[in-house]
Amino acid sequence: MKDYRLIIPNIILAALLLWSVPSWSMTFKDALGREVTLSDAPERIIPLAPSLTEILYYLGLGDNVAGVTEYSYYPPEAKEKPSVGSYIDPNIEEIITLSPDLVIGTKDGNLPNSVYLLEQAHIPVYVINPRNVRDSLSTIDEIGELCGVPEKAHQLVENLNKRLEAVQNAVASRERPLVFLQINKAPVMTVNKNTFLNDLIILAGGTNMTADEPITYPRISIEEVIRKKPDIIIISTMDMEELGEKARDEWMKWKSIPAVKNNRVYLIDSDIINRPSQRIIDGLEAMARLIHPEINWDKK
Amino acid sequence: MIERYRAKIITPSKVITLSITMLAMLVLVIVTSLVLGTADVSFKDILDIILGNTPQDDPIRLIIFRIRLPRILLAGLVGFALSLGGVVFQAILRNPLADPFVLGVSSGSAFGAVLAMILGFGFGLGIPLMSFAGALFTIYLVMMIGARNIGVESSTILLTGVIINAFFTAIIMFFISVSADDRLHTMLFWLYGDLSQSRYTQLFIIAPIVLIASIVLYGFSKDLNIITTGEENAAQLGVEVEMIKKASLIIVSLIMGLVVAFSGLIGFVGLIVPHLARMAFHSDHRLLIPVASIGGAIFLIAADTLARTIVSPSELPVGVITAFLGAPFFIILLKKRGSQWTRS
Repeated sequence: MKDYRLIIPNIILAALLLWSVPSWSMTFKDALGREVTLSDAPERIIPLAPSLTEILYYLGLGDNVAGVTEYSYYPPEAKEKPSVGSYIDPNIEEIITLSPDLVIGTKDGNLPNSVYLLEQAHIPVYVINPRNVRDSLSTIDEIGELCGVPEKAHQLVENLNKRLEAVQNAVASRERPLVFLQINKAPVMTVNKNTFLNDLIILAGGTNMTADEPITYPRISIEEVIRKKPDIIIISTMDMEELGEKARDEWMKWKSIPAVKNNRVYLIDSDIINRPSQRIIDGLEAMARLIHPEINWDKK
Repeated sequence: MIERYRAKIITPSKVITLSITMLAMLVLVIVTSLVLGTADVSFKDILDIILGNTPQDDPIRLIIFRIRLPRILLAGLVGFALSLGGVVFQAILRNPLADPFVLGVSSGSAFGAVLAMILGFGFGLGIPLMSFAGALFTIYLVMMIGARNIGVESSTILLTGVIINAFFTAIIMFFISVSADDRLHTMLFWLYGDLSQSRYTQLFIIAPIVLIASIVLYGFSKDLNIITTGEENAAQLGVEVEMIKKASLIIVSLIMGLVVAFSGLIGFVGLIVPHLARMAFHSDHRLLIPVASIGGAIFLIAADTLARTIVSPSELPVGVITAFLGAPFFIILLKKRGSQWTRS
């Protein structure tokens, strides 16, 4: 004869066990105000920008990356992942074929069309839109929560914030030299105050020479640079070191510019100042060192 | 076989046989294009989908129905309309260089679309509506400025169109050079011609209008034949030249505005496909209109298929392919046959 007395406790135990299995369904609100519901922590993620790839690897989610966009060559192992085309116009067919359970995109390029097509295929798309350096740090937090590693993300972001504040404290009482940031060699192009790079110059303790230009990415004449007398010229390397060197040589002819006279024309790796990932803090520190070499950066 | 259709007499049965042959080719090109792409799709997959053996949310089914098919159909309609517009404009302006964009309709609608993006309603039907309004405004300007008391004179209309085109292009360039990056991409994509934004709802708007326009224009085909040989002849033969010209100008501009609104600027199709059809078959408009239009659909579908497969997973602008493939092909035929521009 079977013992029926244990049936009910067993059922209760089983129910408790099932209940405690970490299955979660969470709804997130993205930068477009869309609601994105995930039934489980995503395991096949496709980031639609190199910066997003960098963030996922930083959060230790490299194995969950199912595909990447062009120029996702950091960290190097990201190059091994299947390509889904360019970040401004990703290949939707390729994305669907890779059957991701989450696609993360930025509010640039051909995004509305991509979002529409991916929604048709019932693939959740989360859109981010960092507009300054602090935004890009909170984006890392957001992605951590979205991908089921919130604690790790909080910890890393806290650390990045500390580095950001350290730079802030160091430059707080200093004078703000006039910085001309060159982002293209021919034509000479720069940035106004509505840009990410402008934020970076300010955080690094400089003043953007072209902040008040009406055009976001204005072309600027050499005459204008001579007239404004920047203290520092920083050239974003635009992927090619020689191109940056050439741009620097061009400036060296104009000794009346204080930056040239005092030999303060610098190159900076464009990847660390252009991509809103954790590496933006490397970029910030590098830029602060260029703008304020008088500070003893290594004492802490 | 080609020589047969080049014979001087055009009979209805010849038109029908040739049109059906072209339609069969069109279906073949559509099916081939459905199979080609980044994702692997076989003829069997397509057969399974037609027979209903594939579950609703199968990724291949989604790719075929939600991505490839609407895009192919849009390419077909746009190619059809561009080529039709080219045939008619070349006839009524009596100029072999005319294409459907020559009167500035394209830059007018591009101006409308870019304005929509700048003003921030570049979503939903915002861009198409503004670009359509831009096309209408342009054709109104051209007709108003170009129409003289002696009537609609071809060279005045053409010159007016070219100038208005230049003016709007300048405004667009200005907008592009002062705009911020995130909108710039949308604009540039659209200006190069972009068929990837196709939706079925758009197709339901474009298809009936293009179809009706082509039937009306086909009704003009005999008159167009006579107008091509000279307006004085035409008037003597009792053709209402002015009425036909104005009506065709407006109809073609309307469908161009519509097509540009949904696909951006795709050059070259409206110029070369009509000439290819003339050289290959006949310059009688009763034959030329159906053959060139269906030919335009085939040409643009093929070109767009190449545009999205050659550098996969990235894509090329379709205008690159239309010019790159069209030009050499065009030159070969031109050397072999002459332009066939005026009927002997």
